[in-house]
Amino acid sequence: MKRILIAGIGSVLLGDDGIGPYVLRLLQANYVFDEGIELEDLGTPALDLIDHIAGLDALIVVDAVEDGNVPGTVTLYRKPELTRHAPTVRLDPHSPALSDALWAAEFFGNAPQEVLLVGVTAASYDGGCSLSGAVQAAVEPVIRQVLRELDRLDAGFLRRFEEGETDIWWEDKTLAIAG
Amino acid sequence: MANRITIDPITRIEGHLRIDVEVENNAVSNAWASCTMWRGIEKILRGRDPRDAWMFTQRFCGVCTTVHAMASVRSVEDALKLEIPPNAQYIRNLILIGHALHDHIVHFYQLSALDWVDVLQIPKADPAKTSALAESLSPWTGNSRLTMKAAQDKVKAVAASGQLGIFANGYWGHPAMRLSPEVNLLAFSHYLQALEYQRKALQVVGMLGSKTPHIQNLTVGGVANAIDLDSQSALSMDKLEMIRVLLDDVVRFVQQVYFVDVCAVAAMYPEWFHIGGGVKNYLAVPDLPLDSRGSSYDLPGGYIRHGELGGVRSFQTASDTVFRQAVSEDVTHSYYQGTKPLQPWVGETEPQFTGWDGSQKYSWVKAPRFDNEPMQVGPLAQVLVGFATGHELTKKYAVAAIEKVKSIGGPQITPDMLHSTLGRHAARAIRACMLAELAQKHWQLLVDNISRGDLSVHNAPVFSSSEVEGVGTHEAPRGTLSHWVVVKDKKIKNYQAVVPSTWNASPRDNAGAQGPYEASLMRTPLARPEEPLEVLRTVHSFDPCMACACHAFDPSGKPIAQVKVL
Repeated sequence: MKRILIAGIGSVLLGDDGIGPYVLRLLQANYVFDEGIELEDLGTPALDLIDHIAGLDALIVVDAVEDGNVPGTVTLYRKPELTRHAPTVRLDPHSPALSDALWAAEFFGNAPQEVLLVGVTAASYDGGCSLSGAVQAAVEPVIRQVLRELDRLDAGFLRRFEEGETDIWWEDKTLAIAG
Repeated sequence: MANRITIDPITRIEGHLRIDVEVENNAVSNAWASCTMWRGIEKILRGRDPRDAWMFTQRFCGVCTTVHAMASVRSVEDALKLEIPPNAQYIRNLILIGHALHDHIVHFYQLSALDWVDVLQIPKADPAKTSALAESLSPWTGNSRLTMKAAQDKVKAVAASGQLGIFANGYWGHPAMRLSPEVNLLAFSHYLQALEYQRKALQVVGMLGSKTPHIQNLTVGGVANAIDLDSQSALSMDKLEMIRVLLDDVVRFVQQVYFVDVCAVAAMYPEWFHIGGGVKNYLAVPDLPLDSRGSSYDLPGGYIRHGELGGVRSFQTASDTVFRQAVSEDVTHSYYQGTKPLQPWVGETEPQFTGWDGSQKYSWVKAPRFDNEPMQVGPLAQVLVGFATGHELTKKYAVAAIEKVKSIGGPQITPDMLHSTLGRHAARAIRACMLAELAQKHWQLLVDNISRGDLSVHNAPVFSSSEVEGVGTHEAPRGTLSHWVVVKDKKIKNYQAVVPSTWNASPRDNAGAQGPYEASLMRTPLARPEEPLEVLRTVHSFDPCMACACHAFDPSGKPIAQVKVL
């Protein structure tokens, strides 16, 4: 049995940074996965991420990225791109958690073989609990990429007959966000 | 002429800590601490149901999720004058202890240890001598020659490959690194072992909170854990037993490894008991309540001014009247509108970004003040308050630390020396030992209370239509955390969080008084200003945590302007 983690990363309080947790909740509501596949809304982990990825066969991460593309662009990153630059000196425990955690896991000898970051170029990180239009439009393509990766890894999933209840508790469109 | 050094890891878009220092004659002559991103998250809470607030505040920060959840429910309970059942107190306390032990271990080994330990000296160590040294210091079973050899081989392999990986950017060979190869290896092998124990501490949080990083079991008025000693789906005796085993393992690591390593570093870098002091006003709140009302606590709280331990004042409760009245936030040097310090309940968060200017506004952090003075918060504050008030458990481990450091050939530590970089590390290790002992105590309190037939975990909140204010505090791993809520018509009218790193990373105030990070860096000697290891040592000793939110990955890996000599 392969151990695979699908992780949504990002802050649900900072606009498009919430894309990771958002997609995670949709996947949880609408699909069932083979044993060994775990889904986690990890929020904004720092070095704790090391614990979450240790010993996995494969890691799939959904997160917002700053790559200069048009907002809503979906770009795939693999391990070599994610670990191109060695970690820098840290002032606080928050660093680009993903690349640092991968570097650390490589050193400890328990890094996942396969790593995919499904990155979505964000439009805004301003305080607020909903996604911009551009990033909202990327939700379906992101889900397709996650499922394609599972196919590639020969990991099974099924779409539920009836759509489950999506628990995106932070989203409240009736509230003025910047009030 | 002064050089300016900016330490600003700019590859990250999330808010983070930036340090600017001016250096004259190889010593820091001026210092500024700033945060580079506006959070403004508190506004999201306005208009929401106060019973849901903790779900949101738990997302303030990815490292400190649990603590913001806890302070939030406590703030609403304070506003509603709501007591919570003893079981709920003990379960919450065990979660807080598990989180704190995890955090203190991670802080020392993952964030700070390599400021003192030179990885590239490790290949020169003799594993047998290292093992003998380690076994003379501690009964820990993970100190064998083979364990040391395995740790050394890992470093040798990395060094031989020419790809230093996670160690590529350390200040190796820096003149301020002074441990023998054997001590470097000893500490490094514990750095590797620490991973397992930090994970175990987190498992305790996960088992009681049903999930990490975001616990699910809180509710205003108590916890949502069903207790049934015989049921698999509830908090059962089986589960409690698993928690006890995990805690016992973590306790052993803290007392036999972490505490000893900190004492060893302290013994070998004695000059760091005289560097990195700064603000000598200290603030801590009492925590780990022992009853429903929160009338007695296992961790002491109070405040000390100007380093005068004799003048210590205790807080009777976690939302003490003195505390409620004395806290305000100043924005003279922060990127916010406003002219005078405001109490958090009437606090405003209107941004006014003007760009970094050390003489004007330069940080997104507000300047919290206690009776108009900057305060240092964190384990050192709590340990000093405990020591000064004669708190038995604090004294026990403080004395143990003093004796241990001396037995390793270090200096005789006096209370005055604790106002320092090493003082912060020592206090954190002392506090970790206290928490370790208290973990076992609160586990027993919970089991005993359940055994007496009390299964209650929750008191229902009752709201009135009138406006009420509450403050919820928690003595978090980084120090005093307070959430301030105003509730009206069952909705949140205002919400402010005054977090530990705001106290410590505070910019100057309207009187020009520096915050703790800034003051602690003054006069720090720098052997090589272009490699400001000494600045990192002091900043890290506070356990900074600024980001509190946004973690988008920047794949470009832009060149990193860590240090600019201007």
